[in-house]
Amino acid sequence: MRRILSLWLPRLPLERRIRLGDARTEGAFAIVAESRNAWRLTHLSEAAGKAGLVPGLSLTDARAICPSLLTEPADPSREGALLRALWRWSDQFAPRVALAPPDGLVLDISGCAHLFGGERAMAETLLQRAGDLRFTARIGIADTKGAASALARFEAAPVAIAKPGETARALEPLPVAALGLDPALLNDIRRAGFQTIGQLYGIRSAELARRFGLALTHYLDRALERVPDPVVPASADPVYAARATLPDPIGLQADLEEVILRLAGAVCQRLGTAGCGARRYHLLVRPVDRPDEVMTVGFARPNATPGAVLQQFRRPLDKLKLAFGADFFRLSAESIEPLHPRQAGFSGAARREDDRADLVSTLGNRLGFDRVRVYAPEDSHLPEREYVTLDAMARPDAPAWQASPRARPIRLYHPPEPLRVETPGRPPLAFEWRRQLYEIARSTGPERLAGEWWQATGGAMRDYWRVETRNGPRLWLVTRPGLAEPAWYVAGQFP
Amino acid sequence: MTLPEQIEQKKNMSPGSPLSALKAGLAPGPACGGIQLASCLTLARGRVHEIMGDSADVFALMVAGVADGPVYWIGSWREIESLSPTGIEDFLDPSRFVLTCCLNRGETLWAAEQALRARSAACVIAQLQDGPDLRESRRLQIAAEEGGAVGLTLLRGRAGNSAAETRWQCMARPEGGWEWICTKHKRGMPGAWRVSWRGKHHAPDLVPLAATASA
Repeated sequence: MRRILSLWLPRLPLERRIRLGDARTEGAFAIVAESRNAWRLTHLSEAAGKAGLVPGLSLTDARAICPSLLTEPADPSREGALLRALWRWSDQFAPRVALAPPDGLVLDISGCAHLFGGERAMAETLLQRAGDLRFTARIGIADTKGAASALARFEAAPVAIAKPGETARALEPLPVAALGLDPALLNDIRRAGFQTIGQLYGIRSAELARRFGLALTHYLDRALERVPDPVVPASADPVYAARATLPDPIGLQADLEEVILRLAGAVCQRLGTAGCGARRYHLLVRPVDRPDEVMTVGFARPNATPGAVLQQFRRPLDKLKLAFGADFFRLSAESIEPLHPRQAGFSGAARREDDRADLVSTLGNRLGFDRVRVYAPEDSHLPEREYVTLDAMARPDAPAWQASPRARPIRLYHPPEPLRVETPGRPPLAFEWRRQLYEIARSTGPERLAGEWWQATGGAMRDYWRVETRNGPRLWLVTRPGLAEPAWYVAGQFP
Repeated sequence: MTLPEQIEQKKNMSPGSPLSALKAGLAPGPACGGIQLASCLTLARGRVHEIMGDSADVFALMVAGVADGPVYWIGSWREIESLSPTGIEDFLDPSRFVLTCCLNRGETLWAAEQALRARSAACVIAQLQDGPDLRESRRLQIAAEEGGAVGLTLLRGRAGNSAAETRWQCMARPEGGWEWICTKHKRGMPGAWRVSWRGKHHAPDLVPLAATASA
């Protein structure tokens, strides 16, 4: 005989805020979520309940009733993560635990209850331990998942138990909503005059199915154990990590590298089996005399090669000073991405691509990945906005380049560097720049460019002159048109 | 192989045969080829060359344009930031560039060594203030021999006593084009050239300046 325990956490989003130490939860506080075209209250603090608010009220109405109400939008992803943490925590009670999002867990406690001294004692223990974690919980125990969750949610007592074989009788007085039906279907059933589940027992399933569709009979059959409804435990998130605990501490570089290579071998083998690679690896080293050291290396492309992992860890390991050695190591992979196997061609293009990614990883791990960059073209007519630089790691394949339609310098100074005019002119006939005097032999221009007036920081209008100096360098001079005292700048240098 | 044996073998081998040079261990593996900049000028791969003067950038871009593969440009933030791909595209496709910004000389030399050692780079350009000393340039040289890329160090200041294969002084000429003066060449003769360039699809045109000049 299966016995199912349903754990319901009615105040989970609110208690997440309480556990975070949010002081607002002591006053009138509510969690709100957007539903049916309005922000509505979903979970209320005690003070808010006393002020006369109820869940489902729209936020505007609630503010009118209780002006001091403070609110926080619901955060389904964090609440889901919290529920997942509780799911891992609850395997102390039963081996088969399934998630019942958004705020419940289902435990298959067949053959487990006697370990806690019976079903009631087990439920009390569970409530107490959840209370220690500052969670309010309600528990239902029955033969089926549907019945257990109905008892947990719709019985007045925090622990409701239906004895084996008495599921139907336990469900009889509960309202139809306890079956967990779709709201539209529930409305239909209520309009037909059914209030409790017991009233449905007398009607033949064929007639129920004809009137309300197959969904209702499915729910009913599963709750009353006419069809099987097993607890399917979710599988844990794969953790790609390996650790080594040594009997004696080690400190020699060669020994450390051997350990890292073995750990990397284990992690990379599992990654390889899953067809994945990792972009980041963390290595935790526990020296015997100091707190833990954590080192991180990144990769330009997902990687599952132990040698490459070791190669990137060599430098941080070298800098690690181990006076008395370390005896615990843990290597974990992060940012897991699928690894697409490629065939090595004869041209060597694939290998060259690998080499490039390796080098970008090496440079990035020491200098910082934001300091290894590639060019990408931009659509603009201003010389300083015709291109941008991107992280080489973010773009493993360099973006294709579009040619600029105008002749541009190979060195572009932005902002332009001021020069001192010796002999005025347009452009100046002689000037000093970077502590050197230049005389102009020839000049071409002006090339007038308007600023990008449609942007807030579009820049002003400017005139560019291409000048050839008697000293040799060919420079690009710039000035603002229309000024009484024109200031001149060097904007760039041509080849 | 002892040194006298090597010399003996060098005597016996036929002149100008790269295979026999390789067998004798006199020429490093990947360094056999060169980057042919013009019909009369070849820059050895797997070697580090020093470039000085106000148009050192142009020399580096011409070499990078002829080399086939990724180009790593390593230097201080200020130097890297002022490079403009819209002007560089006359020489080579800017998408071949990987820019590396370094905070100090040590980082620049380290990054240059790593880039030279990795086999992915075709051309590694490191921008320094003063030239590398004998030890630093020897390290770069060994890394370049392993990787087979051509290494260029662009110097803003003075050149030191270094292990560079060649050293070039590059100036822009007022009447157009450039003047390249080779002031040091370990396996050839120094010389001076007047250089002109007619766009992306043409090799630079070199005219020897002095009667003694030769490649």
